Amino acid sequence: MAATASEGPFSRALPWLVPLALIILWQVSSSLGWLPPNILPAPTAVLQAAWVKLQDGSLVDNLGVSFARAMSGLIIGGAIGFSLGLLNGLSKQAEMLLDPTLQMIRNIPHLALIPLVIIWFGIGESARLFLVALGVFFPIYLNTLHGVRNVDPQLIEMGRIYGMNNRTLFLKVILPGALPSIFVGLRFALGVMWLTLIVAETIAANSGIGHMAMAAREFMQTDIVVLSIVIYAILGKLADSATRALERKFLAWNPAYAKV
Amino acid sequence: MSSQPTGGSRVSLKDVKKAFGSNVVLQGIDLEIPAGQFVSIVGKSGCGKSTLLRLMIGLDSVTAGVLDAPALKEQAARIVFQEPRLLPWASVKDNVAVGLGEGQSGKAADNQAAAILDEVGLKGREGLWPSQLSGGMRQRVALARALVSQPTLLALDEPLGALDALTRIDMQALLEGVWQDLGFTALMVTHDVGEAVALGDRVILIDHGQVVLDLPVNLPRPRKRGTPEFAALEGQILDKLFGDDPRAREAH
Ligand SMILES: Nc1ncnc2c1ncn2[C@@H]1O[C@H](COP(=O)(O)OP(=O)(O)OP(=O)(O)O)[C@@H](O)[C@H]1O
Ligand SMILES: [Mg+2]
Repeated sequence: MAATASEGPFSRALPWLVPLALIILWQVSSSLGWLPPNILPAPTAVLQAAWVKLQDGSLVDNLGVSFARAMSGLIIGGAIGFSLGLLNGLSKQAEMLLDPTLQMIRNIPHLALIPLVIIWFGIGESARLFLVALGVFFPIYLNTLHGVRNVDPQLIEMGRIYGMNNRTLFLKVILPGALPSIFVGLRFALGVMWLTLIVAETIAANSGIGHMAMAAREFMQTDIVVLSIVIYAILGKLADSATRALERKFLAWNPAYAKV
Repeated sequence: MSSQPTGGSRVSLKDVKKAFGSNVVLQGIDLEIPAGQFVSIVGKSGCGKSTLLRLMIGLDSVTAGVLDAPALKEQAARIVFQEPRLLPWASVKDNVAVGLGEGQSGKAADNQAAAILDEVGLKGREGLWPSQLSGGMRQRVALARALVSQPTLLALDEPLGALDALTRIDMQALLEGVWQDLGFTALMVTHDVGEAVALGDRVILIDHGQVVLDLPVNLPRPRKRGTPEFAALEGQILDKLFGDDPRAREAH
Protein backbone atom coordinates (compact mmCIF):
# COMPACT_ATOMS: atom_id res chain seq x y z
CA MET A 1 0.00 0.00 0.00
CA ALA A 2 2.57 2.49 1.15
CA ALA A 3 4.97 0.99 -1.34
CA THR A 4 2.66 1.40 -4.32
CA ALA A 5 1.83 4.97 -3.29
CA SER A 6 5.50 5.96 -3.45
CA GLU A 7 5.80 5.19 -7.17
CA GLY A 8 4.59 7.13 -10.17
CA PRO A 9 4.35 10.76 -11.21
CA PHE A 10 1.18 11.41 -9.20
CA SER A 11 2.88 10.70 -5.88
CA ARG A 12 5.85 12.82 -6.92
CA ALA A 13 3.51 15.76 -7.42
CA LEU A 14 1.68 15.07 -4.16
CA PRO A 15 3.77 17.25 -1.83
CA TRP A 16 3.34 20.23 -4.16
CA LEU A 17 -0.46 20.17 -4.35
CA VAL A 18 -1.22 22.01 -1.11
CA PRO A 19 1.33 24.84 -1.59
CA LEU A 20 0.12 25.27 -5.18
CA ALA A 21 -3.52 25.43 -4.07
CA LEU A 22 -2.65 28.02 -1.42
CA ILE A 23 -0.85 30.22 -3.95
CA ILE A 24 -3.77 30.01 -6.36
CA LEU A 25 -6.18 30.87 -3.56
CA TRP A 26 -3.96 33.81 -2.60
CA GLN A 27 -3.78 35.07 -6.19
CA VAL A 28 -7.51 34.76 -6.69
CA SER A 29 -8.27 36.55 -3.40
CA SER A 30 -5.96 39.42 -4.41
CA SER A 31 -7.39 39.69 -7.92
CA LEU A 32 -10.93 39.79 -6.57
CA GLY A 33 -9.93 42.53 -4.12
CA TRP A 34 -10.59 40.45 -0.98
CA LEU A 35 -6.96 40.93 0.02
CA PRO A 36 -5.95 44.61 -0.12
CA PRO A 37 -2.37 45.06 -1.46
CA ASN A 38 -1.28 47.04 1.60
CA ILE A 39 -2.02 43.93 3.75
CA LEU A 40 -0.74 41.26 1.38
CA PRO A 41 0.24 41.91 -2.23
CA ALA A 42 -0.66 39.33 -4.90
CA PRO A 43 1.92 36.68 -5.82
CA THR A 44 2.25 38.33 -9.23
CA ALA A 45 3.05 41.64 -7.53
CA VAL A 46 5.78 39.92 -5.49
CA LEU A 47 7.20 38.41 -8.68
CA GLN A 48 7.13 41.82 -10.30
CA ALA A 49 8.99 43.32 -7.33
CA ALA A 50 11.56 40.56 -7.64
CA TRP A 51 12.02 41.40 -11.34
CA VAL A 52 12.49 45.10 -10.62
CA LYS A 53 14.98 44.42 -7.84
CA LEU A 54 16.82 41.96 -10.05
CA GLN A 55 17.14 44.51 -12.84
CA ASP A 56 18.52 47.30 -10.68
CA GLY A 57 20.97 44.80 -9.21
CA SER A 58 20.04 45.46 -5.61
CA LEU A 59 18.51 42.01 -5.07
CA VAL A 60 21.67 40.21 -6.08
CA ASP A 61 23.81 42.60 -4.01
CA ASN A 62 21.70 42.18 -0.88
CA LEU A 63 21.44 38.46 -1.37
CA GLY A 64 25.21 38.21 -1.71
CA VAL A 65 25.75 40.25 1.44
CA SER A 66 23.31 38.15 3.49
CA PHE A 67 24.70 34.88 2.15
CA ALA A 68 28.28 35.90 2.93
CA ARG A 69 27.28 36.88 6.46
CA ALA A 70 25.48 33.61 7.05
CA MET A 71 28.37 31.53 5.75
CA SER A 72 31.12 33.35 7.62
CA GLY A 73 29.14 33.12 10.85
CA LEU A 74 28.48 29.44 10.23
CA ILE A 75 32.11 28.72 9.44
CA ILE A 76 33.47 30.60 12.46
CA GLY A 77 30.93 29.36 15.00
CA GLY A 78 30.79 25.90 13.45
CA ALA A 79 34.56 25.47 13.44
CA ILE A 80 34.85 26.49 17.08
CA GLY A 81 31.90 24.31 18.09
CA PHE A 82 33.24 21.34 16.13
CA SER A 83 36.75 21.66 17.57
CA LEU A 84 35.55 22.04 21.15
CA GLY A 85 33.09 19.17 20.67
CA LEU A 86 35.92 16.92 19.46
CA LEU A 87 38.26 18.06 22.21
CA ASN A 88 35.74 17.50 24.99
CA GLY A 89 34.55 14.26 23.43
CA LEU A 90 38.06 12.84 23.25
CA SER A 91 39.46 14.14 26.54
CA LYS A 92 37.71 13.60 29.85
CA GLN A 93 39.81 16.34 31.47
CA ALA A 94 38.93 18.92 28.85
CA GLU A 95 35.27 18.02 29.21
CA MET A 96 35.37 18.44 32.98
CA LEU A 97 37.13 21.77 32.58
CA LEU A 98 34.97 23.31 29.85
CA ASP A 99 31.65 21.56 29.49
CA PRO A 100 29.91 22.79 32.68
CA THR A 101 30.62 26.41 31.74
CA LEU A 102 29.43 25.90 28.17
CA GLN A 103 26.27 24.20 29.37
CA MET A 104 25.60 27.22 31.59
CA ILE A 105 26.09 29.72 28.77
CA ARG A 106 23.90 27.59 26.53
CA ASN A 107 20.87 28.49 28.64
CA ILE A 108 21.14 32.16 27.69
CA PRO A 109 19.14 32.83 24.50
CA HIS A 110 21.81 34.34 22.29
CA LEU A 111 19.43 36.96 20.89
CA ALA A 112 19.08 38.34 24.44
CA LEU A 113 22.65 39.54 24.01
CA ILE A 114 21.74 41.94 21.18
CA PRO A 115 21.79 45.15 23.31
CA LEU A 116 25.12 44.14 24.81
CA VAL A 117 26.53 43.17 21.43
CA ILE A 118 25.53 46.55 19.98
CA ILE A 119 27.30 48.30 22.85
CA TRP A 120 30.40 46.17 22.30
CA PHE A 121 30.63 46.16 18.52
CA GLY A 122 28.30 48.96 17.41
CA ILE A 123 26.01 47.97 14.54
CA GLY A 124 28.85 46.94 12.23
CA GLU A 125 29.58 43.66 10.53
CA SER A 126 31.29 42.17 13.58
CA ALA A 127 28.13 42.42 15.69
CA ARG A 128 26.14 40.32 13.20
CA LEU A 129 29.00 37.87 12.73
CA PHE A 130 29.32 37.47 16.48
CA LEU A 131 25.62 36.73 16.90
CA VAL A 132 25.43 34.21 14.07
CA ALA A 133 28.62 32.47 15.20
CA LEU A 134 27.35 32.27 18.77
CA GLY A 135 24.01 30.93 17.58
CA VAL A 136 25.44 28.12 15.46
CA PHE A 137 28.15 27.26 17.99
CA PHE A 138 25.94 25.40 20.44
CA PRO A 139 24.08 22.97 18.18
CA ILE A 140 27.35 22.01 16.50
CA TYR A 141 29.23 21.74 19.78
CA LEU A 142 26.58 19.68 21.57
CA ASN A 143 26.01 17.25 18.72
CA THR A 144 29.70 16.77 17.97
CA LEU A 145 30.33 16.02 21.65
CA HIS A 146 27.38 13.66 21.79
CA GLY A 147 28.47 11.93 18.58
CA VAL A 148 32.04 11.36 19.71
CA ARG A 149 30.93 10.17 23.16
CA ASN A 150 28.53 7.66 21.68
CA VAL A 151 30.83 5.90 19.26
CA ASP A 152 30.49 2.17 19.97
CA PRO A 153 33.27 1.31 22.49
CA GLN A 154 33.42 -2.19 21.00
CA LEU A 155 34.49 -0.68 17.67
CA ILE A 156 37.17 1.33 19.43
CA GLU A 157 38.45 -1.80 21.15
CA MET A 158 38.41 -3.57 17.78
CA GLY A 159 40.48 -0.76 16.25
CA ARG A 160 43.01 -0.98 19.08
CA ILE A 161 43.24 -4.77 18.77
CA TYR A 162 44.02 -4.36 15.07
CA GLY A 163 46.82 -1.96 15.94
CA MET A 164 45.29 1.33 14.75
CA ASN A 165 47.24 4.33 16.00
CA ASN A 166 45.38 7.32 17.44
CA ARG A 167 45.25 9.12 14.11
CA THR A 168 43.81 6.15 12.21
CA LEU A 169 41.43 5.37 15.05
CA PHE A 170 40.14 8.93 14.88
CA LEU A 171 39.82 9.05 11.10
CA LYS A 172 38.41 5.56 10.54
CA VAL A 173 36.35 4.93 13.66
CA ILE A 174 35.57 7.96 15.80
CA LEU A 175 34.90 10.64 13.19
CA PRO A 176 32.70 8.51 10.91
CA GLY A 177 30.90 7.21 13.98
CA ALA A 178 30.16 10.75 15.16
CA LEU A 179 29.16 12.03 11.71
CA PRO A 180 25.41 11.30 11.83
CA SER A 181 25.14 13.27 15.06
CA ILE A 182 27.29 16.09 13.66
CA PHE A 183 24.90 16.38 10.72
CA VAL A 184 21.96 16.67 13.11
CA GLY A 185 23.86 19.55 14.72
CA LEU A 186 24.49 21.14 11.33
CA ARG A 187 20.78 21.06 10.49
CA PHE A 188 19.88 22.74 13.75
CA ALA A 189 22.68 25.24 13.23
CA LEU A 190 21.38 26.22 9.79
CA GLY A 191 17.99 27.03 11.27
CA VAL A 192 19.54 29.14 14.01
CA MET A 193 21.83 30.77 11.45
CA TRP A 194 18.99 32.17 9.28
CA LEU A 195 16.92 33.17 12.29
CA THR A 196 19.80 35.07 13.86
CA LEU A 197 20.68 36.74 10.60
CA ILE A 198 17.11 37.88 9.98
CA VAL A 199 16.86 39.41 13.44
CA ALA A 200 20.30 41.00 13.24
CA GLU A 201 19.72 42.44 9.75
CA THR A 202 16.29 43.74 10.66
CA ILE A 203 17.47 45.49 13.79
CA ALA A 204 20.74 46.91 12.63
CA ALA A 205 22.09 46.79 9.10
CA ASN A 206 22.46 48.96 6.03
CA SER A 207 22.54 46.09 3.55
CA GLY A 208 21.26 42.55 3.23
CA ILE A 209 17.82 41.04 2.76
CA GLY A 210 16.68 42.03 6.25
CA HIS A 211 17.65 45.62 5.60
CA MET A 212 15.85 45.53 2.25
CA ALA A 213 12.68 44.47 4.08
CA MET A 214 12.99 47.15 6.75
CA ALA A 215 13.67 49.90 4.19
CA ALA A 216 10.61 48.77 2.21
CA ARG A 217 8.49 48.87 5.36
CA GLU A 218 9.14 52.60 5.74
CA PHE A 219 7.53 53.19 2.34
CA MET A 220 4.79 50.60 2.90
CA GLN A 221 6.15 48.51 -0.02
CA THR A 222 4.52 45.28 1.10
CA ASP A 223 5.52 43.51 -2.13
CA ILE A 224 9.20 43.91 -1.26
CA VAL A 225 8.62 42.91 2.36
CA VAL A 226 6.92 39.71 1.22
CA LEU A 227 9.67 39.17 -1.36
CA SER A 228 12.25 39.30 1.45
CA ILE A 229 10.32 36.75 3.46
CA VAL A 230 10.07 34.44 0.44
CA ILE A 231 13.80 34.79 -0.18
CA TYR A 232 14.57 33.81 3.41
CA ALA A 233 12.35 30.77 2.99
CA ILE A 234 14.13 29.79 -0.24
CA LEU A 235 17.56 30.24 1.34
CA GLY A 236 16.51 28.09 4.29
CA LYS A 237 15.20 25.40 2.00
CA LEU A 238 18.37 25.46 -0.12
CA ALA A 239 20.55 25.09 2.95
CA ASP A 240 18.45 22.16 4.09
CA SER A 241 18.66 20.47 0.68
CA ALA A 242 22.41 20.96 0.61
CA THR A 243 22.69 19.25 3.99
CA ARG A 244 20.52 16.39 2.79
CA ALA A 245 22.74 15.94 -0.24
CA LEU A 246 25.81 15.87 2.00
CA GLU A 247 24.13 13.34 4.28
CA ARG A 248 23.28 11.11 1.35
CA LYS A 249 26.87 11.26 0.21
CA PHE A 250 28.63 10.77 3.54
CA LEU A 251 26.09 8.58 5.34
CA ALA A 252 25.26 6.29 2.44
CA TRP A 253 26.29 3.33 4.59
CA ASN A 254 23.46 4.08 6.99
CA PRO A 255 20.14 2.59 5.83
CA ALA A 256 18.35 5.54 7.44
CA TYR A 257 19.95 7.98 4.98
CA ALA A 258 20.46 5.89 1.88
CA LYS A 259 18.36 7.10 -1.05
CA VAL A 260 15.41 8.70 0.72
CA MET B 1 43.18 -17.24 -6.39
CA SER B 2 42.78 -18.73 -2.93
CA SER B 3 44.45 -18.44 0.44
CA GLN B 4 47.62 -20.40 1.14
CA PRO B 5 47.88 -22.51 4.31
CA THR B 6 49.43 -20.45 7.10
CA GLY B 7 50.06 -23.16 9.66
CA GLY B 8 49.52 -22.90 13.39
CA SER B 9 51.54 -22.10 16.45
CA ARG B 10 51.59 -23.69 19.88
CA VAL B 11 50.43 -22.22 23.17
CA SER B 12 51.60 -23.35 26.56
CA LEU B 13 50.39 -22.24 29.98
CA LYS B 14 52.13 -23.26 33.22
CA ASP B 15 50.37 -22.66 36.53
CA VAL B 16 48.76 -19.52 35.16
CA LYS B 17 46.74 -17.28 37.47
CA LYS B 18 44.66 -14.25 36.61
CA ALA B 19 43.14 -11.90 39.16
CA PHE B 20 41.34 -8.59 38.82
CA GLY B 21 42.20 -6.89 42.10
CA SER B 22 41.27 -9.39 44.79
CA ASN B 23 38.95 -11.31 42.45
CA VAL B 24 40.83 -14.44 41.34
CA VAL B 25 39.30 -15.44 38.01
CA LEU B 26 41.71 -18.16 36.85
CA GLN B 27 44.05 -20.32 38.89
CA GLY B 28 46.49 -23.16 38.31
CA ILE B 29 45.88 -23.40 34.58
CA ASP B 30 48.24 -25.88 32.89
CA LEU B 31 47.69 -26.38 29.18
CA GLU B 32 49.79 -27.56 26.27
CA ILE B 33 48.18 -26.74 22.95
CA PRO B 34 50.10 -28.05 19.94
CA ALA B 35 50.27 -26.09 16.69
CA GLY B 36 47.23 -26.38 14.51
CA GLN B 37 44.90 -27.89 17.11
CA PHE B 38 41.22 -26.88 17.35
CA VAL B 39 40.42 -26.38 21.03
CA SER B 40 36.85 -25.93 22.26
CA ILE B 41 36.39 -24.23 25.61
CA VAL B 42 33.12 -24.60 27.51
CA GLY B 43 31.94 -23.65 30.98
CA LYS B 44 29.20 -21.85 32.86
CA SER B 45 28.75 -18.14 32.46
CA GLY B 46 31.31 -16.12 34.38
CA CYS B 47 33.70 -19.05 34.89
CA GLY B 48 36.53 -17.24 33.14
CA LYS B 49 36.41 -18.47 29.52
CA SER B 50 36.73 -15.06 27.89
CA THR B 51 39.46 -14.13 30.34
CA LEU B 52 41.44 -17.26 29.41
CA LEU B 53 41.03 -16.46 25.72
CA ARG B 54 42.18 -12.86 26.17
CA LEU B 55 45.26 -14.08 28.06
CA MET B 56 46.19 -16.56 25.35
CA ILE B 57 46.15 -13.93 22.60
CA GLY B 58 47.85 -11.26 24.65
CA LEU B 59 44.94 -8.85 25.23
CA ASP B 60 45.50 -9.24 28.98
CA SER B 61 48.57 -10.24 30.95
CA VAL B 62 48.85 -13.09 33.45
CA THR B 63 48.99 -12.28 37.16
CA ALA B 64 51.28 -15.24 37.87
CA GLY B 65 52.64 -18.27 36.04
CA VAL B 66 54.11 -18.59 32.56
CA LEU B 67 52.37 -18.15 29.24
CA ASP B 68 54.38 -19.08 26.20
CA ALA B 69 52.89 -18.43 22.78
CA PRO B 70 55.21 -17.66 19.84
CA ALA B 71 52.27 -16.10 17.94
CA LEU B 72 52.25 -13.20 20.41
CA LYS B 73 55.83 -12.19 19.63
CA GLU B 74 55.09 -12.39 15.92
CA GLN B 75 51.83 -10.48 16.35
CA ALA B 76 50.14 -13.40 14.66
CA ALA B 77 47.23 -13.81 17.10
CA ARG B 78 43.73 -12.56 16.27
CA ILE B 79 40.29 -12.69 17.83
CA VAL B 80 36.70 -12.90 16.58
CA PHE B 81 33.98 -11.77 18.99
CA GLN B 82 30.33 -12.74 19.27
CA GLU B 83 29.44 -9.42 17.62
CA PRO B 84 31.14 -8.90 14.24
CA ARG B 85 32.26 -5.37 15.21
CA LEU B 86 32.44 -4.22 11.60
CA LEU B 87 32.78 -0.56 10.72
CA PRO B 88 29.29 0.26 9.40
CA TRP B 89 30.72 3.06 7.20
CA ALA B 90 33.30 0.86 5.50
CA SER B 91 32.63 -1.57 2.65
CA VAL B 92 33.19 -5.29 3.11
CA LYS B 93 36.57 -4.97 1.44
CA ASP B 94 37.66 -2.01 3.56
CA ASN B 95 36.56 -3.82 6.71
CA VAL B 96 38.71 -6.77 5.77
CA ALA B 97 41.59 -4.39 5.02
CA VAL B 98 41.46 -3.23 8.65
CA GLY B 99 42.89 -6.65 9.46
CA LEU B 100 46.01 -5.89 7.43
CA GLY B 101 47.03 -3.13 9.83
CA GLU B 102 48.59 0.29 9.33
CA GLY B 103 49.82 1.36 5.96
CA GLN B 104 48.94 -1.83 4.12
CA SER B 105 47.27 -0.95 0.87
CA GLY B 106 47.68 -1.35 -2.86
CA LYS B 107 47.54 -4.29 -5.20
CA ALA B 108 49.00 -6.90 -2.86
CA ALA B 109 46.64 -5.94 -0.06
CA ASP B 110 43.67 -6.02 -2.44
CA ASN B 111 44.64 -9.50 -3.59
CA GLN B 112 44.97 -10.74 -0.04
CA ALA B 113 41.57 -9.33 0.88
CA ALA B 114 39.97 -10.84 -2.22
CA ALA B 115 41.52 -14.25 -1.52
CA ILE B 116 40.32 -14.41 2.06
CA LEU B 117 36.82 -13.22 1.09
CA ASP B 118 36.75 -16.04 -1.41
CA GLU B 119 37.82 -18.43 1.34
CA VAL B 120 34.89 -17.45 3.59
CA GLY B 121 32.44 -17.59 0.68
CA LEU B 122 31.93 -13.87 0.15
CA LYS B 123 33.36 -13.51 -3.33
CA GLY B 124 31.60 -10.73 -5.20
CA ARG B 125 30.35 -8.93 -2.07
CA GLU B 126 33.42 -6.71 -1.65
CA GLY B 127 31.55 -3.48 -2.30
CA LEU B 128 28.56 -3.96 0.00
CA TRP B 129 27.96 -2.15 3.29
CA PRO B 130 27.68 -4.28 6.44
CA SER B 131 24.04 -3.18 6.74
CA GLN B 132 23.35 -4.98 3.47
CA LEU B 133 24.54 -8.34 4.84
CA SER B 134 22.84 -11.03 6.92
CA GLY B 135 24.12 -11.81 10.41
CA GLY B 136 25.98 -14.87 9.21
CA MET B 137 27.62 -12.95 6.38
CA ARG B 138 28.71 -10.21 8.75
CA GLN B 139 30.38 -12.77 10.95
CA ARG B 140 32.15 -14.14 7.89
CA VAL B 141 33.50 -10.68 7.16
CA ALA B 142 34.75 -10.51 10.74
CA LEU B 143 36.40 -13.90 10.24
CA ALA B 144 38.00 -12.71 7.00
CA ARG B 145 39.28 -9.57 8.73
CA ALA B 146 40.87 -11.73 11.45
CA LEU B 147 42.41 -14.13 8.94
CA VAL B 148 43.63 -11.74 6.23
CA SER B 149 46.93 -11.11 8.01
CA GLN B 150 47.53 -14.89 8.12
CA PRO B 151 47.54 -15.40 11.89
CA THR B 152 48.82 -18.67 13.30
CA LEU B 153 46.59 -18.38 16.37
CA LEU B 154 42.91 -17.52 16.18
CA ALA B 155 40.67 -17.01 19.21
CA LEU B 156 36.90 -17.15 18.76
CA ASP B 157 34.75 -15.93 21.66
CA GLU B 158 31.29 -17.44 21.10
CA PRO B 159 31.63 -16.59 17.40
CA LEU B 160 28.27 -18.09 16.44
CA GLY B 161 26.41 -17.21 19.63
CA ALA B 162 24.30 -14.49 18.04
CA LEU B 163 23.21 -16.51 15.00
CA ASP B 164 20.04 -18.52 14.46
CA ALA B 165 20.23 -22.33 14.60
CA LEU B 166 20.30 -22.93 10.83
CA THR B 167 22.93 -20.28 10.14
CA ARG B 168 24.98 -21.74 12.99
CA ILE B 169 25.14 -25.13 11.32
CA ASP B 170 26.27 -23.49 8.06
CA MET B 171 28.86 -21.43 9.86
CA GLN B 172 30.22 -24.41 11.81
CA ALA B 173 30.91 -26.17 8.53
CA LEU B 174 32.49 -23.02 7.12
CA LEU B 175 34.68 -22.57 10.18
CA GLU B 176 35.84 -26.16 10.05
CA GLY B 177 36.61 -25.84 6.35
CA VAL B 178 38.58 -22.64 6.75
CA TRP B 179 40.54 -24.09 9.66
CA GLN B 180 41.34 -27.21 7.63
CA ASP B 181 42.45 -25.11 4.64
CA LEU B 182 44.65 -22.68 6.56
CA GLY B 183 45.86 -24.75 9.49
CA PHE B 184 45.95 -22.10 12.24
CA THR B 185 45.55 -23.01 15.89
CA ALA B 186 41.93 -22.34 16.88
CA LEU B 187 40.70 -21.56 20.39
CA MET B 188 36.91 -21.38 20.45
CA VAL B 189 34.71 -20.53 23.42
CA THR B 190 31.14 -21.76 23.06
CA HIS B 191 28.02 -22.28 25.16
CA ASP B 192 26.91 -25.10 22.93
CA VAL B 193 28.34 -28.47 24.02
CA GLY B 194 27.32 -30.06 20.71
CA GLU B 195 29.22 -27.39 18.81
CA ALA B 196 32.25 -27.91 21.04
CA VAL B 197 32.30 -31.64 20.27
CA ALA B 198 31.54 -31.14 16.57
CA LEU B 199 34.49 -28.81 15.99
CA GLY B 200 37.11 -29.44 18.68
CA ASP B 201 40.06 -31.82 18.54
CA ARG B 202 39.71 -31.40 22.26
CA VAL B 203 37.17 -29.92 24.66
CA ILE B 204 38.31 -28.06 27.76
CA LEU B 205 35.82 -27.47 30.54
CA ILE B 206 36.44 -24.57 32.91
CA ASP B 207 34.76 -24.34 36.29
CA HIS B 208 35.46 -21.76 38.97
CA GLY B 209 38.62 -20.66 37.23
CA GLN B 210 40.14 -24.11 36.82
CA VAL B 211 40.35 -26.74 34.12
CA VAL B 212 38.13 -29.55 35.38
CA LEU B 213 37.97 -31.62 32.20
CA ASP B 214 40.31 -31.93 29.21
CA LEU B 215 38.69 -34.33 26.78
CA PRO B 216 40.20 -35.42 23.44
CA VAL B 217 37.68 -35.85 20.62
CA ASN B 218 38.89 -38.53 18.25
CA LEU B 219 36.01 -38.68 15.81
CA PRO B 220 36.51 -38.47 12.05
CA ARG B 221 35.53 -35.18 10.37
CA PRO B 222 33.04 -33.96 9.31
CA ARG B 223 31.33 -35.27 12.42
CA LYS B 224 27.82 -36.61 12.57
CA ARG B 225 25.85 -35.48 15.59
CA GLY B 226 23.50 -38.39 16.05
CA THR B 227 26.12 -41.12 16.54
CA PRO B 228 26.49 -42.92 19.90
CA GLU B 229 30.16 -41.87 20.17
CA PHE B 230 29.22 -38.23 19.71
CA ALA B 231 26.41 -38.48 22.27
CA ALA B 232 28.69 -40.23 24.75
CA LEU B 233 31.22 -37.37 24.62
CA GLU B 234 28.45 -34.79 24.98
CA GLY B 235 27.11 -36.71 27.97
CA GLN B 236 30.51 -36.81 29.62
CA ILE B 237 30.86 -33.03 29.34
CA LEU B 238 27.31 -32.31 30.54
CA ASP B 239 27.81 -34.64 33.52
CA LYS B 240 30.87 -32.71 34.54
CA LEU B 241 29.15 -29.36 33.90
CA PHE B 242 26.05 -30.00 35.94
CA GLY B 243 27.22 -32.71 38.32
CA ASP B 244 24.33 -34.54 39.90
CA ASP B 245 21.61 -32.06 39.01
CA PRO B 246 19.48 -33.95 36.47
CA ARG B 247 17.00 -31.11 36.03
CA ALA B 248 19.67 -28.62 34.99
CA ARG B 249 21.02 -31.23 32.59
CA GLU B 250 17.62 -31.89 31.15
CA ALA B 251 17.17 -28.17 30.54
CA HIS B 252 20.33 -27.94 28.52
N1 LIG C 1 38.35 -6.39 32.95
C1 LIG C 1 37.83 -6.98 34.05
N2 LIG C 1 37.90 -6.35 35.25
C2 LIG C 1 37.39 -6.95 36.35
N3 LIG C 1 36.82 -8.14 36.36
C3 LIG C 1 36.71 -8.82 35.20
C4 LIG C 1 37.22 -8.27 33.98
N4 LIG C 1 36.99 -9.15 32.99
C5 LIG C 1 36.36 -10.20 33.56
N5 LIG C 1 36.20 -10.01 34.90
C6 LIG C 1 35.59 -10.96 35.82
O1 LIG C 1 36.10 -12.23 35.57
C7 LIG C 1 35.10 -13.22 35.72
C8 LIG C 1 35.07 -14.10 34.50
O2 LIG C 1 34.69 -13.32 33.37
P1 LIG C 1 34.70 -13.89 31.89
O3 LIG C 1 34.24 -12.80 31.00
O4 LIG C 1 36.02 -14.49 31.60
O5 LIG C 1 33.60 -15.03 32.00
P2 LIG C 1 33.03 -15.95 30.82
O6 LIG C 1 33.27 -17.33 31.22
O7 LIG C 1 33.54 -15.51 29.51
O8 LIG C 1 31.47 -15.65 30.94
P3 LIG C 1 30.38 -15.62 29.78
O9 LIG C 1 30.10 -17.03 29.42
O10 LIG C 1 29.20 -14.99 30.43
O11 LIG C 1 30.93 -14.83 28.65
C9 LIG C 1 33.81 -12.50 35.99
O12 LIG C 1 33.54 -12.58 37.37
C10 LIG C 1 34.09 -11.08 35.60
O13 LIG C 1 33.40 -10.20 36.45
MG1 LIG D 1 32.66 -14.55 27.79
